[in-house]
Amino acid sequence: MSHNNKKTLYTVIGVVAVAAIIFGLYSYAGQESFIRTVLSGLTLGSLFFLVAAGLTLIFGLMDVLNFAHGSMFMLGAYIGWQFYTNPTFIFGVLPLLLAFAAGILLVPLFKPKLVRLELSDVWQKRLPKLMYLAALIVGGIALWKFDVIGLADTAMVAAVTTSANPLAELSAQEPLLRFMWRPLLLMVSGALVAVGVSRPGDRTEITAPEPLKKRLILLIVLVILTIVFTLVRENASEAVLLMNGNLRFLLAIITATGFGFLLGALIEITMIRPLYVRSFFIVLMTLGLSYVLRELVQVLWDPLAYQMVRPPLFAQPGRANTIAEWLMNGSSTISIVGVTFPTYRLFVIALGFVMFIFVTVLMTRSRLGMVIRAGVQDPQMVEALGINVKSVFTLVFALGVALAALGGIGAAPFLPVQPGMGDQYQMQGFITVVIGGMGSYVGAFVGAIILGMARAFGDYFALKWQLSPTIAEASTVIIMIVVLLLRPQGLFGKKD
Amino acid sequence: MTNEFLLSVESVDTFIGQFHILENVSVNVAKGSITVLLGRNGAGKTTTLKTVIGLTPPRSGRVIFDGEEIQGKRAFNIANLGIGYVPENRAIFRALTVLENLKLAERKKGDLDRHADMIFELFPDLERLSKLKGNQLSGGQQQMLAVARALVPDNKLLLIDEPSEGLAPILIQQMMEVIRKLKEKTTILLVEQNFIMASQLAERYVIIDDGRSVHRGLMSDLVLNEELIHQYLGASIQAPTRTSEAE
Repeated sequence: MSHNNKKTLYTVIGVVAVAAIIFGLYSYAGQESFIRTVLSGLTLGSLFFLVAAGLTLIFGLMDVLNFAHGSMFMLGAYIGWQFYTNPTFIFGVLPLLLAFAAGILLVPLFKPKLVRLELSDVWQKRLPKLMYLAALIVGGIALWKFDVIGLADTAMVAAVTTSANPLAELSAQEPLLRFMWRPLLLMVSGALVAVGVSRPGDRTEITAPEPLKKRLILLIVLVILTIVFTLVRENASEAVLLMNGNLRFLLAIITATGFGFLLGALIEITMIRPLYVRSFFIVLMTLGLSYVLRELVQVLWDPLAYQMVRPPLFAQPGRANTIAEWLMNGSSTISIVGVTFPTYRLFVIALGFVMFIFVTVLMTRSRLGMVIRAGVQDPQMVEALGINVKSVFTLVFALGVALAALGGIGAAPFLPVQPGMGDQYQMQGFITVVIGGMGSYVGAFVGAIILGMARAFGDYFALKWQLSPTIAEASTVIIMIVVLLLRPQGLFGKKD
Repeated sequence: MTNEFLLSVESVDTFIGQFHILENVSVNVAKGSITVLLGRNGAGKTTTLKTVIGLTPPRSGRVIFDGEEIQGKRAFNIANLGIGYVPENRAIFRALTVLENLKLAERKKGDLDRHADMIFELFPDLERLSKLKGNQLSGGQQQMLAVARALVPDNKLLLIDEPSEGLAPILIQQMMEVIRKLKEKTTILLVEQNFIMASQLAERYVIIDDGRSVHRGLMSDLVLNEELIHQYLGASIQAPTRTSEAE
């Protein structure tokens, strides 16, 4: 039999099998349970997809297994929850981060002069270390007695005593005159790091003519942003809290996703880039990073679980019969073919599908997508065409982390926000990627839906037949084993 | 004089891992000419091309392109100075369509539009196949695409690695025609095992042997020097054309 005929045959068998399973479940469970379970499965599948999409893109292009991906999901949830509940912490810390980043961005300005310095070999080695030490000391002074825990606690107070007015907690910010020197010193600290990174005196270091103008503009923008956010710390929190709740939620989504993007870029540039030649170290590094991030979150917000309040669009008691009615009244549930389903979960399903369309358009229609598809096969040749592959790697990693963070904030209103909330999703994300095929975003989508359904129907049958609920969790692993036996490269994977 | 050369590779040493692949290799390419690198398999011809484009940067020595030192720069920076690289084994992107393969090579918007007529005149097949994926093309078509891809941006120099490898005789003829036409508007550094093809195309040659550039001169002199050919190229002239390999 020819290759194509075989493929068609397998596809037909697959479609028939899927149809049979759907029909069997439908007739066994009855319409109402079936629809409710399918919707639950789609909700889970959406979140699995948001985690798995990043994992599979990053693995496909860079061969990097990111074991910190679940932590990114968790951080997205925390940042979004913070922004929505009480952004005092975010606005309190933001000027400091911006200032440090502005300091670091001085590298390209320093570099051409610094590498031409006359330095002995000993000082060439010693100077960067001294610079890092100085940066550490200056940074330490800058953050001396900075009450970051107190800032973080503001959201906790607001969350624990739901009746309390979060506006009353805004006074946690330091007065401007005492705060002012912190960003200034951090900018100095960042600049010291920048000097160290520039390798003063190292003439073998080649200074390619970087587009200096772009960097300079970025630097100026960062400095202006630092100043602005230093001045508006208190007012910004207040303005956000007085905002319409739905708008605030939208901004929380954007903030968490943007945070994920920047964090991803930062991690790729500082931690993963030096390790591409030793890919096993990347696994260890990302695993370690996930522990560090979790501890950091526990220090800031204690090892507790928080429930984020649902935005007003999904919060009014009552059932809407149509989507229009829901959007008008902000009902918490909606009737779908007679089945009552939470509107927020419907939103999560929509989020997953919209992001799948976004990724599809990005991969098939944009130049970046073309570069990624080509880079999966042969990054060296892409580079030889004149494309900066390193920066594409950074961009893809940042995009993947942004998707995970988006999943996190998407999940926050119906999952408890806690330090370990990402673990489960990271595991399922890896299983999704294996089922769908490493590097295939379509595979990630199909795999995510299959896993979501398996979990949802697993829960349904566990309840019905009074089995242990872990059967639902086990079912996803069983599916993975079956797929690996029948099609080791995954449903949409390519054979090597 | 450096000025008359578009590309000067000056006594470069290149390592891959701890292996010393190129030792004191020097190659000059005059503007508007074709220079061919000859030598046995594994002599370091491909590494020489990769050293120029920056995929295997040299540890010492200089590479001067168009009056600018380029050794140590990142490959994408070097390519953007106007160097097109056609790797061996038709390294086209299999998951991309023919059109996407060409589009990807654009450095400025509209590069492909400006050169589409020229490219499709040289390779009429590619226009017909433009919607097919790279992995649906035959070996010869893939090789044509690999060359076409280097013609999309305005390149001053083309590095072409074994364009005839694995092609049927009739396709080798076609490829020779294409390269001959390209010579009119650009400069080429060619690696070619097919001595007949190399001798008909190139004005100058450099022989690489065991990682060293051991001999250089005019092609018209080399064809008469059977001893030299035998010493360094050995069997490779015995088989001027090879048949298309099965995939």
